[in-house]
Amino acid sequence: MDPRALRRFRKNKGALAGLVLVLTVTTLGVAGPWLAPHDPNRQFRDTLVLADGLPAGPGSVPGHLLGGDPLGRDELSRLMYGARVSMTVAYAATALAVLIGVLVGLVSGYLGGLVDGALMRFVDVVLSMPFLLLAIAMQRVWSAPGLWVLCLVLGVLSWTTLARVTRAKTLEARNHDYVAAARALGYPHRRVLLRHVLPNVAGPIIAIATIMVAQMILAESALSFLGLGVRPPTASWGSMLSEAGGLVLGMPRLVVYPSIFIAAAVFGFNLFGEGLRDALDPKE
Amino acid sequence: MIGFIARRTGWALFATLCVIVVVFALMFVAGDPAATTLGPHASREAIHDFQVREGLDQPILAQLASYLGVGRCVRKNAKGYTRPDGSRGFCGLLEGDFGVSYSAREPVANVIARRVPRTLVLSGMAMLFELLIGVTAGIIAAFRRHTWTDTGIMFGTFVGISLPTYVTGPLALMFFAFLLGWFPVGGYGVGAWEHIRHALLPALILAVTGAATYARVMRSDLIDTLRDDHVRTARAKGLGPMAVLFRHGVRNALLPTVTLIGLSLPFLVGGAIITEKIFAWPGLGLLTLEAINNLDAPMVMAVVVMFAIMVQIGNLLADVAVAMLDPRVRG
Repeated sequence: MDPRALRRFRKNKGALAGLVLVLTVTTLGVAGPWLAPHDPNRQFRDTLVLADGLPAGPGSVPGHLLGGDPLGRDELSRLMYGARVSMTVAYAATALAVLIGVLVGLVSGYLGGLVDGALMRFVDVVLSMPFLLLAIAMQRVWSAPGLWVLCLVLGVLSWTTLARVTRAKTLEARNHDYVAAARALGYPHRRVLLRHVLPNVAGPIIAIATIMVAQMILAESALSFLGLGVRPPTASWGSMLSEAGGLVLGMPRLVVYPSIFIAAAVFGFNLFGEGLRDALDPKE
Repeated sequence: MIGFIARRTGWALFATLCVIVVVFALMFVAGDPAATTLGPHASREAIHDFQVREGLDQPILAQLASYLGVGRCVRKNAKGYTRPDGSRGFCGLLEGDFGVSYSAREPVANVIARRVPRTLVLSGMAMLFELLIGVTAGIIAAFRRHTWTDTGIMFGTFVGISLPTYVTGPLALMFFAFLLGWFPVGGYGVGAWEHIRHALLPALILAVTGAATYARVMRSDLIDTLRDDHVRTARAKGLGPMAVLFRHGVRNALLPTVTLIGLSLPFLVGGAIITEKIFAWPGLGLLTLEAINNLDAPMVMAVVVMFAIMVQIGNLLADVAVAMLDPRVRG
């Protein structure tokens, strides 16, 4: 990274806070299953379900820091496993979207002409697909969808912005002398694109991809909230929210915990992404 | 210019057609609507009758052609939904016929016509809140730039963008409706005034993200505008800071916001699925969710078609507006 960009980034307190949040939730996603004190699907009927059938509150039972969920499962462990689901889906779907978007954008911007026209019309078509609706419908097609179906659906439906931005940046880069020089040296298109154009359009792509991770976290938990994403008993922040929805009056904490995790993750990626954008592409 | 509009309209129609084909195919592979609609205890004959009546025993291409209205109608005539002469001619979209809902057993168009006004009440109020809150916050932030007010508002918009409705919704329901009793606990109410009263809280929740977005756009555009020469001239003329801000700054900076409003039009009609679910608001969003869960293909298709057309109209208007301002785009 350009040292000036790095300096700009380091001076941005918000972006640094975002980075800390991003690292925290990512670590939680990777290491959550090892950090979690219990099996997220094990029901502690003797200790976490009280005599009146309600789950034990936070701190009241030793070894269960945040208490139990309505089915007597350890809340903290479920939150940590939920981080793995959210992070897996968010990163994988974003990676897929970046792969498609950058490829389409590079080819479109570099080759121009008919190819460009056709690809951009294709982008228009994908853009007019109703995102949530299609995601729901595709979830319905696979009656017991795995995580990978979810990633596939989200990735395939959200690469269009990246394609447009990459194309615009490629058009800009194409006219620079270093690209002309590389071409004059007789390098094949692939090498010119990957070695000379791509590094120079990478900045905005990285920033957009970071913010996209936040949107993917939102999309995954939205689908799981609607009961159309990750299926029970797998823990996900969205499905935990929907399970707690009916109990919001009696046990608001069951809504508050997953909400905090979702908000913190999304907030972190948004802040970090904005910081990256400001650092890599200074307007002022 | 006319050639440009014609070309873009052609592409918009093509894109809409693509969306229809994709979703139609998806609904086709999603499962057997007969079994879902009639329930687990339906007899084999009943299921067969259903499939014949709705043309589900026909090949998918015949069904698609029938749905679009470019091929013979595969739906058996049921009383009330036939053409006046009782013939089995065309019966699809081109005839303005959205079909008959499997689960509601009445024309899709009627069901949608009932739901659209409800969704418009909710989304319309949400948009009002978005603009009122968002634009005001954006103006204040730009005017008080580099102060704690500005930092606070910008932090607030970040929180707003990061909080989805399924987080804010249940919490607001608990706090403002259950505990404080300021708002009804959900539903739709009876009578116009009750509708509005019931829509207040869901509309506010729905407006959070939009308001945050408008505030950010408004702030950055207003800051840019306030650097322009005509603003400096106005200041030099001796106009007061408020007059400069509103007459010369806000008026010009509102343009991108107006474009954003145009692009958000489709979501005004179709985009409130989650909020409607949380607050049990019986609009199009809830209808869509039910239709998908029931595999009610005609209903799902109708919503998708409406959404796709709205998106295309929005994009078309935006493109035409840009082309009018910038001749290079027409190409």
